[in-house]
Amino acid sequence: MEIALHIQSHRDVAAVLRPEDVGRFGSGAKLRPTVELTASLLSEFFAEANLIKIDRVVYGNEFCEHLIPPLEQLEAVIERAAAERIPLTLVTPYVSDSGIAKLRPLLESATRAPSDIEVVFNDWGVLGLLKRDFPRLIPVQGRLMNKSLRDPRIMGAYRNDSGHEATLVTLRRSNLDSASYTNFLAKLGVRRVELDNLPQGVDCGFTSQGLHASAYVPFGFISTSRICMAAGLHYAKPEKFQPGAPCHHECQSHLLEYTYDNSPLGNRDQKFYLKGNTYFYTHSEQMLRTLFQQARAGSIQRLIFQPYLPMKWERTEL
Amino acid sequence: MKILAPISSRDELEMLIENGAEELYCGVVPSEWLARYSGAVWLNRRSPKGGSLETVAGLKLLVEEAHQRGIPVFVTLNAPYYTEEQLAWVLDLAKRLDGEIGIDAFIVADINLLMRLSTAELNAATHVSSVAAALNSEAIRFLLEFGPSRVILPRSVTLPEIEKIAHSVAGQVELEAFMLNDGCAFEEGFCATTHHHSVGAFCTNLSEMRTEFEASGGRTLSLRQNRRFGRNLRDYREWVWYINGNGCGATPSGLPYGPCGLCAIHDFLRIGIASLKIVGREASPFKKLASVKMVSDIVRRVRSGAPKLVAIERARSLRGAPEHCDAGYMCYYKIDGGELHEK
Repeated sequence: MEIALHIQSHRDVAAVLRPEDVGRFGSGAKLRPTVELTASLLSEFFAEANLIKIDRVVYGNEFCEHLIPPLEQLEAVIERAAAERIPLTLVTPYVSDSGIAKLRPLLESATRAPSDIEVVFNDWGVLGLLKRDFPRLIPVQGRLMNKSLRDPRIMGAYRNDSGHEATLVTLRRSNLDSASYTNFLAKLGVRRVELDNLPQGVDCGFTSQGLHASAYVPFGFISTSRICMAAGLHYAKPEKFQPGAPCHHECQSHLLEYTYDNSPLGNRDQKFYLKGNTYFYTHSEQMLRTLFQQARAGSIQRLIFQPYLPMKWERTEL
Repeated sequence: MKILAPISSRDELEMLIENGAEELYCGVVPSEWLARYSGAVWLNRRSPKGGSLETVAGLKLLVEEAHQRGIPVFVTLNAPYYTEEQLAWVLDLAKRLDGEIGIDAFIVADINLLMRLSTAELNAATHVSSVAAALNSEAIRFLLEFGPSRVILPRSVTLPEIEKIAHSVAGQVELEAFMLNDGCAFEEGFCATTHHHSVGAFCTNLSEMRTEFEASGGRTLSLRQNRRFGRNLRDYREWVWYINGNGCGATPSGLPYGPCGLCAIHDFLRIGIASLKIVGREASPFKKLASVKMVSDIVRRVRSGAPKLVAIERARSLRGAPEHCDAGYMCYYKIDGGELHEK
């Protein structure tokens, strides 16, 4: 079992992590309790002498093509990861044709790196590009390609509902349940898939077919859009909320917390978080413990710790 | 360029075809599915009750009558994914609909189902659903390996992007674009929520929730920033209201509000878009009829050579609510502002 750390710049590349150090990642007051709880549980389950060994660093985001990092930033990350001898995974978002053009120089740089780099695809076009033009890079199916529902308003309720076994089985799985799909991925050289920790629980039975699973903690995505509320800040009202509209990375300045307290299902007082164009839910202690037990048991082979919402973007000031 | 209309009952067939529908699409959810998976797991992106036909026999009658009139019928099998157990069931259903009924195409989102249908030796074609999120030319080229005859472009693909994609894949596959009704605040293929009746759509539900902003980097939000963010949030909620059919409203004459691409029809004909999709399998017969009439009115004019600005003027007058058109939030596609200002 590996532990990977999601990083926001080359400065975050590190071989070990102490739970008490997670404050330096700037998760913000609203998310800090969840991040600290996760670090503490990672330590409880997987650390030695309170040190969480970092086996890999993960860089990039899957949600917005405007947050694709500048080439210089990626090259600094590649250089630092190589110096620290830590393997690197580059995450890519779903993209328009313009986004494909933005990714190309990053993939060219990644393919020249001294060690093999994983590239997480969240778009069939990016997978097509990887297979045709960048065969040296190692494709990993991203969590957006996993279509399991994860609506936190309702999915958690199925977890304890013994009345609908077939429903719960379906909701915990995805098309990874099907051998024809895992064979298709294998033919394309995809040996690893990424997952969210689902409110209803996640069934990793597909790993028996040779695929490896990575799971993100402690934030799951609910929904994402090419239409960004934050980007609307700098537009006149009638021009706001256009798909893919250029932005000034307004999402970097703030977070929006939603309180869901009128659920008809009894799971009241849930919080959802909007960062840029994407809504997230947080993992409860029960969800984290269940996932970590699955990881201990071997059905999840990598945990990716994100000590902040994965929507960071930095200007090139190296 | 065809007009594609939703249908959920044979009773709607004559009305839709007589008023301009040139292709039809529908869902069918046999009772065995509902018994096995309850209402929580949807076969085709619509609640099992209301948006789909309930029997294969009913669908057979609908298709026979449509074919007699020369109109093709497409069936949605567009859940984001199917498990192995479901896949076997869905493949059996597809074979039945192909062999016994002669369905013209299946609308598919799960690449695994697309792949399996491509080797099943069916007569029916496959259309890639917008839920597959083919947002770029590379994605479409990748999916072409599985032989779809058509790709439905997601709502978020802009007019300039559509033109570029159409140029890039010209002659290889048909493209279908959204035309009327029902917006989606999120990227449909990357929205992991449900519209289950107990909670409703997540995007509209969000507008009812309490909110609080937090500044990044441990800073405190100034009063001015809070006001600015708050104003933007109100604008966003107004936009969500628009894409939800103006709160599911209608004009005084009863025409449905909701996201609209009428002004883009002239461009779509020029670009070579194969089909214009009217959304709303679950809508009332009246809403379906009014929608087909509006789209048909503009398509007829554009086909007979009406200039773009004339078509746009007619579209605005058909909507009958210039204040909503001017709000800028009711359009699927932003039409080039320079051209409009030339008026």
